[in-house]
Amino acid sequence: MPVGHLPAAGYSKHMYIYLPIAEVSLHIAVVIGLGGGVGFLSGLFGVGGGFLMTPLLIFLGVPSAVAVATEANQIVASSVSGVLAHWRRGNVDFKMGGILLAGGVFGSTLGVFLFKALQEIGQIDLVIKLSYVFFLGIIGALMLIESARAILRSRQAGAKRGKLHQHNFLHGLPFKMRFRKSKLYISALLPFTLAAFVGILSAIMGVGGGFILVPAMIYILGMPTSVVVGTSLFQIIFVTANVTILQSVQTQTVDFLLAGLLLFGAVIGAQFGSRFGAMLKGEQLRGLLALMVLAVSLKLAFDLVVTPSDLFSVEILK
Amino acid sequence: MMMRAFLLTFMMMLASPFMATAATASDDNVLIADVSEDNVAITTSFHGTQLLLFGAISGEKDDDIIVIISGPEGAIATRRKEKVGGIWVNTAAVTWKNAPSYYQIFTNRPLADIITPLEQDRLKIGYKHLPLLTDDTALSKAELDGEWRDALARTMQNVNLWRNHEEAVSLMRGALFRLDVPLPKNIRPGTYDVRVLHMRDGAMISEKFSSISVAKSGVGALIYRFAHDYSFFYGIFAVLFAVASGWLAAVAFRRS
Repeated sequence: MPVGHLPAAGYSKHMYIYLPIAEVSLHIAVVIGLGGGVGFLSGLFGVGGGFLMTPLLIFLGVPSAVAVATEANQIVASSVSGVLAHWRRGNVDFKMGGILLAGGVFGSTLGVFLFKALQEIGQIDLVIKLSYVFFLGIIGALMLIESARAILRSRQAGAKRGKLHQHNFLHGLPFKMRFRKSKLYISALLPFTLAAFVGILSAIMGVGGGFILVPAMIYILGMPTSVVVGTSLFQIIFVTANVTILQSVQTQTVDFLLAGLLLFGAVIGAQFGSRFGAMLKGEQLRGLLALMVLAVSLKLAFDLVVTPSDLFSVEILK
Repeated sequence: MMMRAFLLTFMMMLASPFMATAATASDDNVLIADVSEDNVAITTSFHGTQLLLFGAISGEKDDDIIVIISGPEGAIATRRKEKVGGIWVNTAAVTWKNAPSYYQIFTNRPLADIITPLEQDRLKIGYKHLPLLTDDTALSKAELDGEWRDALARTMQNVNLWRNHEEAVSLMRGALFRLDVPLPKNIRPGTYDVRVLHMRDGAMISEKFSSISVAKSGVGALIYRFAHDYSFFYGIFAVLFAVASGWLAAVAFRRS
C-alpha cells in the first residue's frame, strides 16, 4: 500500500471487497452473511431463494442487471447441489425434465433479450419490481390458503382424499407423450409452454423459478409431489446456466466474485436450514414460506406506491 | 509519495519570502500543485480513498484558490418519475452524452464570493457551465438547462460523485495551500483532470492542469477483462465453476 493512500475515516479497509463487475464495494461479512441467510431459508423450505437474494442484492446497491445475472450463476450451483440428493433417490423424471428444459431454454433466451431491450428504455427496474409484486403476491397468497387448509384438515381426522388430478381441456392438446415416472399421458406442449413462461420470468427476475414451476407442475400438470422438486431442480440448472452464459455475452453483468462469495455462504446456510427444517411439519413450513413470500411482495409494492424522496434518478451508463 | 509532499512544502517555505516580493510583478506568477498519488489502483479491497492535493502560489493576502477535478466523461441518464395508475413510473428521461462521472470543486471560501456568475461561465467553472450535450429530446432548452441539469447535479451529489466543497482549501499565508480530495468507492476508472486556478479580485491570474489516473488492478481487473474480452468463455467458466462447487458441496455435506 503506497504511503499517502489514506482510507476513509471510520472504516476498516480490509473488510470490504470491491466487486469487479458490479463496481460496488460491499462488506465481506454482509455478502457471505446474505448468502448464508438465504441459504438457510432455501435449505429450510426447499426453494432456490433467488426471489429473496435478487431484491436484497439490489437493496445493497448492486445494479439490478448485475444482481439478476449473478444470481442466475449462483442458482446453478445450489440446484446442482440440490438435484444430486433427489437423483440418488430416483426422484427426477428426466423425460419430463427434458421437455421442461427445452421450454425453459427457449423462454429464458427470449427473456434475456427482453431484459436488454427494457434496460435500454430505462424500464427494467419497474418491470422487475412489478413482476416480483405480482407473482410473489399470487403465489404467496395461494400457498398461505393451501397451508392453512392443510393445517385445519390435519386437525379433522379422516378427511376424504380427492382424485389424482382433474381432467380438463388441457388434456385434449396434440403431441401427447407418456411420462412414466410422473404417471402422466399429456401433451408435450403443456410442460413446454409452462417452462418457456417461467424461463422468461427467470431471466427477468433473477430467480430459478421453482416457486412458480413447482406449484404449476403439481396443480396444472398433475405430477406426483415426490418427483416435482427433483425434476424442477434438474431443469433449473440448465435454464440458469443458459441465462448465465447469455447475460455474460449480452450484457457482461455476471459478477463471478460476487457469485462465489454468495455461494460459499449459501452452501453452509443450506445445510443448517435443511437440518432445522426436518424438525418442522410440512404444512407449517409452507405457511411460513408463504408469509415470507408475501412480505417481500408487500415491501416491493409499498416502494412502488410511496412518493420517492426525489422524483429524479440517475444512472451512469456504460 | 508523502515524501514528495514534505519536500515540496519544505522548499516552498524556504522560498516564500522571495516569492512574496516576486509576486508584485504579475508577469512571473508561480503556481505549483501536486497530488499525493497520481495513480490510484482499484483493487478488490478498494473502499474509496482520499488524496492530498497541495501546492504553492506567489500570492497576496486575499488571493483565492479554485480546484476543479473532473472524472471520465460518458453517458449519464437522468429520469423523472410520475404517478401512473397509483405507482411511480419513469415517464421522462434525458441522456447526457458527455457528462463527467466525477465533478468536484474545492475552494477556500464560497465560490459565489470569489467569482461572478459571468466569469464562472467564461472560465467554465461549475455544473451550470459545463458544455453538456443531450440525446434527442422533446424537452425545451430552458427545461434542460434548468430543472434537468439541476436534477443531474443533485442526484450525482447524492451518490457522492459531484460536489462543491466550499472552504475546503486551506491557504496558509497566501502562499501554500492544501486540500483533501475524496475519491468515493463508486468512482469510475479513467483519467481525472485536475485544474487549479489562482484567483485575485475575481479574476484568474494563473492556471495549472494535471491529471490523476484511476485504474482497476489485480484480480478484479483480470476478472473484468476476462468478462469483457472473452465474454462467452467467461460465461462457460462461471457455469462450470458453479456446477463444480455445487457438486462439491453436495459431496462434502452428504450424510453418511
